[in-house]
Amino acid sequence: MLTKKNSLVVPGTLESLSALRQYTMDACTTAGLTKDQAYGLSLAIDEIATNIMVHGYGKNGLTGNISIVAEITDENVTLVMEDTSPEFDARKLAVPPAESLKKPLEERPIGGLGVYLTLQNVDRFDYQRIGGVNRNSFIIKRAKK
Amino acid sequence: MALNISMDVNNGVAKIVLEGEVDASVSDKFKEAVEKAARQKPNRLVMFMDKLTFMASAGLRILIFAKQKMGADVNIYVIGASGPVLNTLKMSGFDRSVYVQASYVD
Repeated sequence: MLTKKNSLVVPGTLESLSALRQYTMDACTTAGLTKDQAYGLSLAIDEIATNIMVHGYGKNGLTGNISIVAEITDENVTLVMEDTSPEFDARKLAVPPAESLKKPLEERPIGGLGVYLTLQNVDRFDYQRIGGVNRNSFIIKRAKK
Repeated sequence: MALNISMDVNNGVAKIVLEGEVDASVSDKFKEAVEKAARQKPNRLVMFMDKLTFMASAGLRILIFAKQKMGADVNIYVIGASGPVLNTLKMSGFDRSVYVQASYVD
C-alpha cells in the first residue's frame, strides 16, 4: 500500500532547514520508523538541503524553492527532494576516506562530512536531473513486521 | 528549535553550553562563541552537549575549527552528548580526537 504525505515547499534558504527536518520527522512517525532511523533521515535531508541552499542557489546568486514529499510503502520510506538550482549530483562529491576519519581534528579538512553522513544514514540515496530539476531521493527500509 | 549558546572562560578553561539544534543556519553563532573563547587563549575547551538534540556536519565543522584555531595542545571535551548526536560524533571519528565524557568536574 502506498501512502503519500502532502508535499512541503519552502524557500531554498537556510532558515528553511528546520521545517524540512520537521516534515521528515513527521513522515517517519507516520511510517513507524525508529527514533534513530528518523534522526538519520532528517540528518541526510538537512545535509543535502544545506548543499542546495549554500552552493546550488546561494553561491550561484540564484533564488528558488525546495520541495519535499514522503512516500511510504510496506517496504520503504522515500523522501523526494527537488530544487531548480544548477545540475548537481552530490554522490559525485568525494567522501572522506576511512583513514581521514581517524585523523586528529587539527589535521582534517573543514568540509566534506555532509555527504558522508548522508550516505551513512540512509539505505539508498539517488539523484536524477529531470528537465531543469534536481531530484534527490532518500530511501529507508522499513522493518518487516 | 533554535540554538541557545553560552560561553565563559575561567582559569584557562573555556566552557560552551549548547542547547537546541546546530545546523548551518545557526552554526555561525557557534563559531562566534568559539572565536570569542579562543581570543582568551584557554588551555582547555569544554562543550556541554547534554541539551543538544540535533547536530549536522555544520556543527562538526566548528569542532574542527575550534581545534585548529586553539591549537593541538588545547584539549576539547564533549560532555553529555547522547543518542544520535553521540552517534554522529562517533560515525565521523571525532571520539578519537576529543574527550567524550558523561559529566565534567572542575
